[in-house]
Amino acid sequence: MLHRSLLVFAVAALQLAAQTVDRSKPPQTPPIPSYKLPPVYETKLPNGLGLVLVEDARFPLVTTRLNFRAGTKFDPPDRPGLAEAVASLLNEGTKTRTSRQISEETDAMGGSLNGAAGPDSLTISGSAVSDSLSRLLTLLADVTLNATFPQEEVDLYKQNRIQSLRAERSEPAFLATEKMKETIYGSSPYAHIAPTVQSIGKLDSKTLAEFRDTFLAPNNATLLLIGRLPARAELMKTVTQLFGSWQQKQLPAAPDTTSPAPRRRIVLVDRPGSVQADIHMGRVAPTRLSPEYFPLMVGNSVLGNGANSRIFRNIREKEGFAYDAHTEYNTERDAADLVAVTQVRNEVIEPALRAVFAELENMASAPVPAEELTNTKNHLSGVYLIRLETQDGLASQLNTIETLGLPNNYLETYTTRVRSVEPGQIQDVAKKYIAPEQDAVVIVGDASKIGDAVKKFGEVTVVKAE
Amino acid sequence: MKKLAISLFLASGIFLARSADLTIPVESYKLSNGLRVILSKDNAVPVVTVYMIYDVGSRAEEKGHTGFAHLFEHMMFEGSKNVPKGMHFATVESNGGTMNGSTHPDFTDYFEILPSNKLATGLWLESDRMRSLAINDENLKNQKEAVKQERRLNFDNQPYSTAIVDVWPGLMFGNWQSSHSLIGSFEDLNSSSVEDVSKFFRTYYAPNNAALVLVGDLQIPEAKKLVETYFGDIPSQPQAKRPDLSEPAGFQARKDTYKDPLARVPALVMGYPGPKRRSPDYYALNMVDAILTGGDSARFRLDLVKGKKSVIQYEANLGWPFASALDYRDPEPYAIFVLYNPAFTADQMIGQVQDEIAKLQNEPMNAKDLERVKTTMRAARIKELQSSMSRARELAQYTLADGKPELINTELEAMLAVTPAQIQAAAKKYLTPDRRAVLEIDPAPAGGPGASQKEER
Repeated sequence: MLHRSLLVFAVAALQLAAQTVDRSKPPQTPPIPSYKLPPVYETKLPNGLGLVLVEDARFPLVTTRLNFRAGTKFDPPDRPGLAEAVASLLNEGTKTRTSRQISEETDAMGGSLNGAAGPDSLTISGSAVSDSLSRLLTLLADVTLNATFPQEEVDLYKQNRIQSLRAERSEPAFLATEKMKETIYGSSPYAHIAPTVQSIGKLDSKTLAEFRDTFLAPNNATLLLIGRLPARAELMKTVTQLFGSWQQKQLPAAPDTTSPAPRRRIVLVDRPGSVQADIHMGRVAPTRLSPEYFPLMVGNSVLGNGANSRIFRNIREKEGFAYDAHTEYNTERDAADLVAVTQVRNEVIEPALRAVFAELENMASAPVPAEELTNTKNHLSGVYLIRLETQDGLASQLNTIETLGLPNNYLETYTTRVRSVEPGQIQDVAKKYIAPEQDAVVIVGDASKIGDAVKKFGEVTVVKAE
Repeated sequence: MKKLAISLFLASGIFLARSADLTIPVESYKLSNGLRVILSKDNAVPVVTVYMIYDVGSRAEEKGHTGFAHLFEHMMFEGSKNVPKGMHFATVESNGGTMNGSTHPDFTDYFEILPSNKLATGLWLESDRMRSLAINDENLKNQKEAVKQERRLNFDNQPYSTAIVDVWPGLMFGNWQSSHSLIGSFEDLNSSSVEDVSKFFRTYYAPNNAALVLVGDLQIPEAKKLVETYFGDIPSQPQAKRPDLSEPAGFQARKDTYKDPLARVPALVMGYPGPKRRSPDYYALNMVDAILTGGDSARFRLDLVKGKKSVIQYEANLGWPFASALDYRDPEPYAIFVLYNPAFTADQMIGQVQDEIAKLQNEPMNAKDLERVKTTMRAARIKELQSSMSRARELAQYTLADGKPELINTELEAMLAVTPAQIQAAAKKYLTPDRRAVLEIDPAPAGGPGASQKEER
């Protein structure tokens, strides 16, 4: 056997004296411990490529993210899905490697290499066992700089994306999110979450290469490396060899992301045969860089983040209307939205809608009691720790900082900023952003079953599920 | 060039063997009431997972009570003597943790992931409900509704789900214990009484039918003392009988079609009765699965997604539709799910999948390809073991099924020792058309169960 076993096996019952304990109360425990992040080293290559290096020796792995400010908001208006297609097809062939070679090399280093586009960023994510780092970086550089978007791969992507889009469109949650974003973001590019069959049809190698040539530039990118890394000088040499000669580019102006003023609208997406109604209720909200962010984020957690949140306790535990009831504060770089989400059986659509409205109003009408607020702050501080257990967890946090343009000390100061939020601040932002007067209400369900009940809440626009 | 690639490859293989030194420490013992306790220390991040596993799952349900194990799992969050209704969630979250529970065919689990100095909080919660669950009509009624909502949300209103959860087990298994719907029918859920819940609790939720796993930032002596304090005096119960899961002899090939009113893209499930857990064939079949569906260079991706352009998405493993081979004890099937391009017929797809299997049956896997698959497996394993929660679940599964939590450190080696000849033999023995169950899931927009008769675009 190669590994020495650290195993200790004792079948005999332990003779440990039980302490006496008062079971009627939760145990007294110390406050949540603090945790010092591994040091984050940041630098830039002369061509502008940002580097973020984090030594994390817990596991024999390396994790990388190459983040470009080139997300779906940069899709030309008539070509939704372009950034996403570029991201998906980068590893399907380069000047010197076929798609098959790339996948075999990826697997041979025990790794992964995939592109994905979010609203703001296009990110190539990779991992490998730590001694394969230079091979991982070589492959990453190749797909970044030399992807050829072979026509055959593009055609296959188009064919399968049309099918997966059809599958997505059969999911009520997808339809609700799509309609909500469209309703609250108007003409902003954040209004679109998916391509269309027509826009997929227009994809070709040339268009994909043009998008790549426009946005995938070192002065528009940050490379994150986390794991068991080689000595700094050696690592810098490798990175410079692979990415140093990459030419800077003049980047196009960012698209206009202004959102329309929020106002109440009720949209019913008719999905005949639905056995329940998906309710989404929300509006635009401040971004993470706003001074209102932490009060609103903490307030949102009180309201709808987790099983101890108000909306979960009321809608699910007390009323039994739904299995899931939560609120989401989705923050993109230039815009954000706050949405309450639940799925209820058709018969209770009316009381459920009233209950959700009431919970939103309560946040604005009274300050959060001290104990409830402390509980929520503890929850956020603890979950922050749990997310740092894995390399992927840490990589995602750091990648979000890049994507949203957050300050370097965001993670370090996160817990302190959560702790400093006051009830009055929450009530102030709740009046502006949680009170539902200007919320858009999107419901996906069977209009023949729930239409009459929904009409009691105001004028309803009924649209067919496409 | 080729030679160079291979030697590079072997170098990395050697490194990986070394890195499998990622040995998970395991210390296990038993309390006098029979509760098995497994401790695994890792002080890297101040987080601890408290993981409680009970040796009962959906396959222990009785006729007329489909879905009961899952309904019971919900009841476990409804309060106990010292933890009033709602306090479980509140206590975990206000102490900075997350929690959940889940019902599997052969076990049910409950866990809290907490900042490590909150260990006592997790133990208090888990011991209080094991000792004194609050079973009453109001909680039961409320959770029946929550489970029905869960069914509507995750199954009745989702494409493919009804076929997978209600129809597929009936096709794959002959013994009712395995073939019934694991989420259950509304009718059966409604018929459950408070007495049923009490009996189930007494029978299965005893310390001697459970294991407690603590993983993460622990101080072992202190952890042991706390475990004894909170669990030591919970009385044991007569050992519960395990259900008879034996399948009728002589599996016959079978096929069924489900018209799915919510699906837009056709899908297919193909399953085969699998080998006995931890037998040589079991390891070989896990390797067959890795070759067919693991990693970017898996044969399904290269040959079917890319080559034939027929498959759109796929999933497969021993134990499918559950996530891992460890979700079922014996008997467990190997099953493959594919979503495919409607330009192909279901019969063509069955043929293509079976042809991929036939290649494995007819030709031995070449050494280089096999080495790559093994590297992928090792790396996936290291990634998997990063979180304390996944370590805890695996330790618990091995404890219940095999009585050996330390298998967490040796099962990978057993998998990687599989030879090309064993792979070929296992594919021939298990994955043949005459011992195959097939479920076609066809999009059927109009009509069907739960759907209105209106035409949907």
